[in-house]
Amino acid sequence: MNSSLIIAMNSMSAYQNKIDTIADNTANVDTVGYKRKIASFSDLLNNTTSQPEDFYKDGRLTPLGFTQGWGARIASILTDFEQGALQATDVSTDFAIEGRALFEVIADNEGTVAYTRDGSFQISMNAQGEAVLTTSQGMPVRATLEDGSQGSIVIPNGYAIQVGIDGTVRATNGEETLNLGQINLISPVRPDMMTQVADNLFAVADGINAQDVVQRVFAGENGITIRQGYLEKSNVDLTTELTDLVRAQRAYQLAARALSSTDTLMQISNNLRG
Amino acid sequence: MIRGLYSAASGLISQQRRHDTITNNIANFETVGYKQKTTPLRSFNEMLLQYTEPGTNNTNKIGTWTGNVFAEESVTLFNQGDLYQTNRNGDFALMSNIQLPGMRFDSNGKYVNENGEVTYQPQAYFTVLTNDGEVQYSRSGQFATNMNGELITNTGLRVLGSNGEPIVLPAGVSIDELTLGGNGNLYRADGTDTGIGFYISRVENPNMLVQVGNGNFKLAEGEQVQQMAPGDEVAIMQQYLERSNVDYLQSQVELMAAARAYETNAQIVKIYDQTLNKAVNDIGKVQ
Repeated sequence: MNSSLIIAMNSMSAYQNKIDTIADNTANVDTVGYKRKIASFSDLLNNTTSQPEDFYKDGRLTPLGFTQGWGARIASILTDFEQGALQATDVSTDFAIEGRALFEVIADNEGTVAYTRDGSFQISMNAQGEAVLTTSQGMPVRATLEDGSQGSIVIPNGYAIQVGIDGTVRATNGEETLNLGQINLISPVRPDMMTQVADNLFAVADGINAQDVVQRVFAGENGITIRQGYLEKSNVDLTTELTDLVRAQRAYQLAARALSSTDTLMQISNNLRG
Repeated sequence: MIRGLYSAASGLISQQRRHDTITNNIANFETVGYKQKTTPLRSFNEMLLQYTEPGTNNTNKIGTWTGNVFAEESVTLFNQGDLYQTNRNGDFALMSNIQLPGMRFDSNGKYVNENGEVTYQPQAYFTVLTNDGEVQYSRSGQFATNMNGELITNTGLRVLGSNGEPIVLPAGVSIDELTLGGNGNLYRADGTDTGIGFYISRVENPNMLVQVGNGNFKLAEGEQVQQMAPGDEVAIMQQYLERSNVDYLQSQVELMAAARAYETNAQIVKIYDQTLNKAVNDIGKVQ
């Protein structure tokens, strides 16, 4: 009796998680560069009650033993890196990546590197009073500078930036043009080892060698281009999400029904002597 | 008379098992590649009841009786689940419709010949390696890659390639860049063959597979399994997944049926209780 109860409980919490994932996706339908998450289910371990040899009777189909499963769980949450649609904004600090790549940003003062598809950049002042290309949360965008070093792009006063499809950044004031460097891009080689963290960022978890997970790529090759004046919309498809929601909700409902049915059974057995 | 009390009790236990199995099916409604199970009930062996006349050795046959019922086994229904498109390159679905010469399988994968002999349709599976090095079988094709570039199932078990070794993607190549070619191998975007394919196992009698959880089946010892051969009617579809074959409506109906049958058995127990009450307290009572 308890097994029905436990199975129903396990599955209801798994369905709840699935619905949470769908809610997360639909909430981010308008988040620039958001990649949808997929909840992946797996059945829980089964146990087999052993049966003596005498149970092997005519017409039996399966090997001896009575197997009993314990419901389902969310085994993993996967990220779908499919390309989102591009939207023209004509803002010079908006960038979109076409192809399988992410921007590199410096997430904190210790220089931790994180990755994002969100190219709604802006120009912010850093501690030294320089105008730096950053994400909308103020994290500097990592680039390979003209001298070959890694750092953030500093835009001289009075200059506007132009970014080529290969990610090269130039600053111009109408008279002269300066080469500032090239925006760094990485390709997720083992995308499942990346974790989605807050602020639309992806990070490689501690203890995992980043070189195994991501690889430096260059725009202009492998079908990767950077588009200035565009933003990448999320790759959430509302129709898919809502269809998934209907399924998940119905499954939840059915599990709840199984739970109440179990409750009825327990009530009946409690009242056997009544 | 008491015999019936135990019959009703065995009915309660069996219906409970049935209820558990259906609840487990419902729980796995959204589990990729899950196959629903049923719990056939079986009556106990028939016995002959005899009555011995008091004071003599004369026996009279009363008749046969098959008192109790039990949940005999947990049978998996192996019919194909629906495929749905995901647009994710790490998703693979198996469509298995293996034919045997001279047999025409019904939708439940069963063929009965004129002598009443039953043959079950062989089924195809992805082959996975557990962390203990045991080979298991799975229809759940929602794969990911780990740090070493090994292709893993959603519960982290390694997937075996056509050479019988775990699949390891070439360094620097992600599964998103690989597409499945007509020969079952994965191809790079520039058209070069990586030589990596899946080890698809063909299980001759799928009833000998036992569900072990984590989307996997284990094959009973000594049963036939072989690598899929060209010409077997099995298709691997990339960017697709196989839904569980759990029937929403059937589950609901069976759940109600099991609950009501349980209730009926409980009523029988109660009636026996009342009868016993009469026998114990009322017979021979002096007013």
